[in-house]
Amino acid sequence: MKILIAEDDPISRKLLQKALERAGYDVLAVENGKQALEVLASFEAPRLALLDWVMPELDGPAVCRAIRKRAEQPYAYMVLLTSKDSKEETVVGLESGADDYLTKPFNIEELRARLRVGERILLLEDRLVEARENMRFRATHDPLTSLLNRGAILDLLNRELHRSHRENKSTAVLLGDVDHFKRVNDTLGHLVGDEVLAEIARRLLSAVRSYDFVGRYGGEEFLVVLNSCDPAHGPARAEEIRKSIAKPIMTTKGPLSISMSFGVLQSSEWGPRSLEELLHGVDTALYEAKAGGRDCLRMAKPPTESLPPAIPPELLRHER
Amino acid sequence: MTQAPEHSSRSVWNFSELLVRVENDQELLVDLLNIFKADFPQLLRSLRSAVDAGDMKKSAALSHNLRGMLANLAATRAAAAAAELEKLAKAADQSALRGALDCLEQETATLNQEIDSYLQGVRA
Repeated sequence: MKILIAEDDPISRKLLQKALERAGYDVLAVENGKQALEVLASFEAPRLALLDWVMPELDGPAVCRAIRKRAEQPYAYMVLLTSKDSKEETVVGLESGADDYLTKPFNIEELRARLRVGERILLLEDRLVEARENMRFRATHDPLTSLLNRGAILDLLNRELHRSHRENKSTAVLLGDVDHFKRVNDTLGHLVGDEVLAEIARRLLSAVRSYDFVGRYGGEEFLVVLNSCDPAHGPARAEEIRKSIAKPIMTTKGPLSISMSFGVLQSSEWGPRSLEELLHGVDTALYEAKAGGRDCLRMAKPPTESLPPAIPPELLRHER
Repeated sequence: MTQAPEHSSRSVWNFSELLVRVENDQELLVDLLNIFKADFPQLLRSLRSAVDAGDMKKSAALSHNLRGMLANLAATRAAAAAAELEKLAKAADQSALRGALDCLEQETATLNQEIDSYLQGVRA
């Protein structure tokens, strides 16, 4: 594990460095507080630090205070080394954000034991962060396909629509629905249905650019957001995506021919309208694609006059 | 490992404590002593100048540095003299400061002899 030593006394620095290298640490030693702050604020900085209290440029407590202000960085466990031993000074050191302190001259075994405490705290912190990230992923992703879930894709779409309007660009919105999916579930079972949905998700993801978004909008409906997509290219991009789906899918019950129908909308043609209006528009286009024979796409045309109040998409579920 | 200096019993230098601190690593011990030999004279000169100039803040800071350095080498008496000097400088007790500095210089002169003797023994 990497550890930073910030100590201006060369004897103390050398002693610490040797003792910690013997304990298996990857040691980085600096001689003032300013250098310590630079190291601790850098990319992949050490997360364990031994900071002398009295140092040129910036003292140990000042380094602690500066690091604690940077909440976005992974937690650093900081131990102050001090020859100050009054209770008041100990309180000042800990209040500055230090996790522990050691009085000099230190006992090597005690120092190592205290650093092991630091390692345990950091391990615990890593586990908490990992658990939080897992929860965040589960809250924003669909468990079957690992695509963004409905809430997350709509959030991103809303943000992207605002951005493209602000920057005078266009976003292409594709709402796709698997053709005759109910038959797959009814004849081959829900497990095969799940295999189909998971494979479609993979195909959609590999058909778009890294900065586009794909989400599971409903049961067998998928929403694709193509960022900064020129209206001249939108239909062609949508057609490529449709074709990437329309190939047999290998399931545990054998190969299956699958197709999707798409409604496609270019935001620049719709102007500054609400998300609900755009979703209503693209859903209507999808309905037209279904009515037009399926396995095709239809462009959503903005109404020539103001739309009646948008019908929530939930109320627009049709037998598809 | 080279034997402890003969005068260590006088507490100028707690050699056994220092050995524990370096975990019986003689190479490290020699490195530390060489760092001390290289840095100490300049630090002491700066301290003497600060005391002469009546610069209490600088005197306190330099005494603090010296105290840490000496304590790390288990130079008990010299570290105590540096600590006294730091205390007086912080209290801006200029009258007592010069006497305390003399005391520190005496202690470190003895310490330097001990260190030289040890380093010669290592080289021999």
